[in-house]
Formats: sequence, structure tokens, C-alpha cells
Amino acid sequence: MATTQQPATLAGVLRHDEPAHGGIGGMARREERWGYVFIAPWLLGFVLFTALPMAAALAFSFTDFDLRRPDEIAFVGLRNYERLLADRDVAQSLVTTFRFIAVTVPLNLAVGLGLAVLLTSPRVAGKALLRTLFYLPIQIPLVAATLIWLGVLNGSNGWVNQLLEFVGIRGPDWIGDASWVPVSLALIGIWGVGNMMLIFIAGLQGVPTELYDAARVDGAGAWTSFRRITLPLITPVVFYNLLISLVVSFQVFVQPWVLKNGIPDEATNLFNVNLYREAFVFNQLGYASALGWVLFVVILAVTVVLFRTSRRWVYYAGER
Amino acid sequence: MPSQRSRPGLPRSVAALLGVIVLVTAACGASTVPSPSTSPQSTTATGASQTPIAITPAPVATGAGGLTADGKVLIRWFVGLGTGAQPDQIGDEQAVVDEFNKSQDKITLSLEIYQNTTAYDILSTQIAAGNAPDIIGPVGFRGFYAYGDQLLDLEPYIAKTGFDTAGMDPAILAAYKEGFGAQVGIPFAIYPSFLYYNKALFDEAGVPYPPHKIGEQYDGKPWNWDTLTELAKKLTVDATGNDATSAKFDKQHVDQWGYYMQWTDPRGWGTQRGAGSVVDGSGKAAIPANWVEAWQWYYDGMWKDHFIPTGSENRSDLLGPDNAFQSGHVAMDFVHLWYTCCVWPAEGAPKVKTWDIAVPPADASGKTTAKLHADTFGIMKATKHPDEAFQVLTYLLGNDKLLARYGGFPAVKSKQAAFFTTLDKRFAPNKVDWQVALDMLAYPDVPSHEADMPNFLKADAAIKAFQEKLITTEGLDIATEAEGLRSTLQSLFDQAS
Repeated sequence: MATTQQPATLAGVLRHDEPAHGGIGGMARREERWGYVFIAPWLLGFVLFTALPMAAALAFSFTDFDLRRPDEIAFVGLRNYERLLADRDVAQSLVTTFRFIAVTVPLNLAVGLGLAVLLTSPRVAGKALLRTLFYLPIQIPLVAATLIWLGVLNGSNGWVNQLLEFVGIRGPDWIGDASWVPVSLALIGIWGVGNMMLIFIAGLQGVPTELYDAARVDGAGAWTSFRRITLPLITPVVFYNLLISLVVSFQVFVQPWVLKNGIPDEATNLFNVNLYREAFVFNQLGYASALGWVLFVVILAVTVVLFRTSRRWVYYAGER
Repeated sequence: MPSQRSRPGLPRSVAALLGVIVLVTAACGASTVPSPSTSPQSTTATGASQTPIAITPAPVATGAGGLTADGKVLIRWFVGLGTGAQPDQIGDEQAVVDEFNKSQDKITLSLEIYQNTTAYDILSTQIAAGNAPDIIGPVGFRGFYAYGDQLLDLEPYIAKTGFDTAGMDPAILAAYKEGFGAQVGIPFAIYPSFLYYNKALFDEAGVPYPPHKIGEQYDGKPWNWDTLTELAKKLTVDATGNDATSAKFDKQHVDQWGYYMQWTDPRGWGTQRGAGSVVDGSGKAAIPANWVEAWQWYYDGMWKDHFIPTGSENRSDLLGPDNAFQSGHVAMDFVHLWYTCCVWPAEGAPKVKTWDIAVPPADASGKTTAKLHADTFGIMKATKHPDEAFQVLTYLLGNDKLLARYGGFPAVKSKQAAFFTTLDKRFAPNKVDWQVALDMLAYPDVPSHEADMPNFLKADAAIKAFQEKLITTEGLDIATEAEGLRSTLQSLFDQAS
């Protein structure tokens, strides 16, 4: 039905007057409502499958919840948190996790960026095919991929050691030797770098080419262009990949668990592995919930630090 | 101002609302009522050559009172804590379930199978979620100790139904009561241990087969661990055919190993030198001296003399992975009767065509120890239908097909004589001297290597971590490592007290 719209006045808009039908304020509110409607499924999922379980875990962390005796749950206050401060396994798993991150995150960033630079180079043929091939490993389920790597890295007759033997090198026990396990985990991590590579490619393609032309005119070589133009302009993408990589690396579980068949040693007893063992092998879900919240706080702290420091090195085009 | 167009009206908002409902429902996953379905890769059980079911069948839907749609009581049977999850076994287990369901109309028995590596985690989660199965098993004492206080006392049901336990070994029946405070199990199968040996590898090496009787000599020498060591070295061969007694033996390229102790942990290794326990009489952690000796011998066998595969070698494609004797690359394997489940593969031609069993060597004092396992089924306390669950339990306990498939020796004495006839049919034309298995029942490890420990799950995990270290790390001092294990166990025992 046709209606007559009241003229909107500036005062009316500032007062958030709602015109009888339509008007600027009313339209904005309607759009806002539709926005909420469309994000409602995600919000509901977030509340049901993330927020509520997190709240439940927080509550469990103050109890002695044993999976085998759910009816005997009792409030124990801060005992779980006191316990984890004195637990050598927790300290060791934290150290192992930080060590793992210190190796894999820079490596993955370097490899991802390196591949992206190669696959945006005008001198490389078949870029589309190569990008697909480098991305494909991500499509393989992680457990299946790790099982494949178990065979490939087997110290006795795995492919890697057979190749090394072919050139006269005796390969290590990649899985059994605790000093080589971090390298194995890093290798498996690199195999899945395709996602990061794609994001870097998108970032590289956003760098204006006239900057490179101008740099060439000024006599800059490839390395100087990369260092002075490419890197600064893709820092937002680097920041994003670094952040995601850190958050994911703190939560690594599948690869070390599958590699050691559920019997982790010091090199594979990462924080999340230890958490899982406490929860589902030893049935101490209350204690594991406390560990989970500690992990959350650690990741949050690292993320906050990253965001704070990003002001110094992340360049957003359009900002001063 | 132009007049506003008419509002699109109800259909768009209804469409959006429907879209939200669809998205939320999809996000919530499967429907609330699980629907029965055929397993995608199942076939009917036809015998040893059937194609195994690859996944656990979907759960059966139940309504109020735990009844199925056709008014039957649902009893869930959880398999995976012990044997039962091997591809060779799944088809027969499903056939047993189908037979039971056809034989009566009051109960629907539903089978759930999980791999051993995850079965404990899954069961704990099910218990915590209030969704515990009714029956677990077959499972050995490890599972019973892990869930002891969750198991139903069967004594009232034995009395109510008049179930006959007279034909069972009273010591094993009592073992399911001591330490549990109630009769939580009825013996089903016992598994003596002995040496499986690959006759073809012995023939190739030109050496006699090991003895089949306690006290017999081997090639004029006493059958002890020193003699076995020498024999195992002769049966350990590298890729170019040199055995481990040869100066040209290439330890980096071993193709065949003389000895292995499959699917056990250091407590099992320890029994090679006699029974023992990591818990002394006062409840403190202690590593028996004979076990340290056994561990040293086993460790030297892996890293010094190379006639036992290391962890890396065992996990390679050459040995299964992780089914060393079946690979055809191990000459002797000291393992239990339940290993008859897996000597031959479910599909394809067996690599170990001719094999037999022999007695294990005696220790320095002349004593032979053959560790014993015992499996049975338990009923969870949380079951809503204990009478029906007990009815299913007694059916499973009396099922000879299951017993044969698990390679379990009947705990009921009247069935023991006929048991091996079933195995003979399965392994024909290969003839096995099952008298060895019967004889080994007289040499069990007492106390059992699977005896209870304080803080059982963590102590068990510590022992497995110790094992992992020994099979993957060269150059260790076993005495130091054993003391480290003792110390770790003591701190775990202290936590539990």
C-alpha cells in the first residue's frame, strides 16, 4: 500500500525520531535488525557450541570431575589451579609447546611467503596448476595425513631415509628419536602451508605495480624491491598469518598424538596433548578444564601482545 | 518526497525465518533420533574369509524406557577394550549378535566396536555423558581395574538365574571378586602364552624347531634364554642373507628378526624371567630384580645383538606395521593364545603359511613362566536393564564361536577338550601342537603382570612411556631407567593415597 513519507529533519534524525513509515533512522534500524537476523545462526552456534562449553569448562575447573564418576563431582575451589602450578608435566608441556612454536611458525611463514612470491612471479609457468598442487595437501584429513607421514618418516625403511641412503646419508629415526621429532613435526607442518600461501598470494597481488616500476627506474634490484616495497605493504597479511599460525600452533594435538600412538614423549607432549591425556586417558576432566582455561589465557595474552606491537610494524595503506 | 513503495510483505520475512531455522538445524548436526542404518561396508558373516565390517554400526533408536521402536529392550555391547576390534573378528561378532536377536523377541542386542587405542577414551566419555553401554568386553584385567567401580555386582543375578559356575576354575572366578569388592566378572576365556614359531624360517636357516615339552633340550643344550638368544641370532638375517652371528651382518638393513614379544608392555617382558609386580607387599613401588634382568636382555636384543625389532622397525611396513609375526619376518613370537586371531590376515594369502607353537625357555633357576591373560565381559552399573544385560552376558559367555574367534581357551572345563578342534579347522592344513598351550596353563605368572596398581591409569601410562623410551632410544642404562620408573611410580602411588 502506498504511504506518504514525512519529511525528515536534521533535528529529527539526531533525536533518532522514527518517522511513521521509513525515513533515515528507521531504515538504519531495519537494516540493523536484518543484520542481526542473518548473523543469528552464527551467534546461536557460537553461544551453544563455544560460549556455553567454555562457561561449563570454567565451572568444571573448580571441581574434581572424574569422567568415570560423574555423579561424585565436588567443588574443590582453586585446587586444580594450584595443582597445575606444581605439575612438572604442565611446565614441560608449556616449554615444549613454545619450542615447537618458535620453530614452526617462522618456518611456515617463510615457506608460505616464499612459495607465494614464486607463484606470483611472471617468470613461472603453470602458476594455476602449481597453486592447486601446493594447496591440495590441506584437503587431506589431518589424521590420514599424519599416518602417511608415519610411514614416510619411518626410521627403518621410510621413503625419506631411503632417499637419503641413496645419496649416502644415514637418516635419523625421525619419529623415535626425541631430538628429531620437532623436525618431523615441522616438516608435517610445512606440508600444510598451502592456505597461508594463498593468503600471501592475495596480499602480494594487492601491491601496486607502479611502485615496482618507480623503484626500477630508481635502480632498485629485486631484493631491494622486495625488502622496501613488498614486505612493508604486505605486513597486514603477514600479521594475519602470524596471528592465525600462533593460535593454531598453541592448540596442536593431532600430529603429535598420532605420531606417537597416544604415548607422547617429552618432544611430543605439547600442552594440548597433555590436556587431552588428563581429560580422556586419566579421566580428570576438572583438572583438564583448568588446563584449558590456562591455555586460553596464554593464547589471549600472546594475541594482545601481538596486536599491541603490530602498531609498530604493520602498515595499513591509507593510514598515516 | 516520492511515496514509499509498498513493503515486500510477509513472504520475505518468512523466507528469512525459514532460512534461519534450516541453518541452525544444519549447524546442530544429526537428527535427535538416531536412525538405524545398514553399515555401508558390511557383509554377512560367512566364515574366515568374509569381508570385515569397517565401521561400527549406527546406534539403534530407542524411545521411552530404553525400548526400541518394536518394544524390545536395547542392550548395547561395547567392544574394543581388549580383543575384538581386529578386522578378522568383526564379522563373526556381528553374526553372534544377529543370531541372538533372531533367537528371542524381548531384547535387541546392538554391537559397538572401537579400536583399542581410543576405546578407553570413548567409554569414559560415554559414562560421563550418562550414555554408558550395558556390556563391555571382552576385556582383560586392565579394563576391569580401569572401570572396576563402574561394574555391576553379578552375584545377585547368578543366584537369581541359577547360572552354573561350578565348571569354572575357582581361582579365576575369585580373581574377578578380589580387589573389586564384588563379583564383577565370570570367567570366559583364558589365554596361556607360548612361542609361536615360523617353520619356514627355521627350515631356511637349517635349525631344529624349538622344544614342545617342558624340560626338553634344544639341539643338545638346555632350553634356556641363552640358548634362545643364540638361536634367535641365527634366525636374524640382513638384506644380503647374513645372519646376526656373522661378522658381515648389517644391522642397518635387517630383513628378518629371530624373536619378538608382541603386543605387551615391560611388565610382560619381565615375566620372561619369572613373575613379579611393581607394587611390593607394603604398597610401595618396586621393580623386581628379575624384571630388570629381563629388560636388560630385551634391550640388548634390540640395540646390541639386533635380533629383536626396535620400535621403528616394528612400525615399518616390513613388519605389518605392528603385526610382526604375521608379516613373516619374525621367527619366534612369545605371545598369548589370543594371537590366533591375527596370525593370518583377514584378507589375502597368509605370509606365515606353516607355523607351530613351542614352550618358552626356562630362566636361570630352571623355572618356566608363561604369562596368563583372562578375558571376560562386564555389565556396567549404569545399565537400565540389568536382568536383560545378564541374559545377554550369559549368552556371550556360552558362545563357542566367539571363543574360537578370540582364540580364547574356555574357562569352563567341559568345553576345553573340544576347543582346539575349532582352531584346527580354521588353520587347516597347518597342524598346530595345541598340547603346548594346555601345558602352559600350569606355568602362569603369579602374581599376574596385569595386577592392580595404585593410580592405575597413570601408572599404566608411565610404564608405557618407559617402554616407548626403551624401544626408541639407544644407549640407555637399564638399571638407571628402571630406578627412574620406580621413582615415577612411587610419586604416582603417593598421589593416589
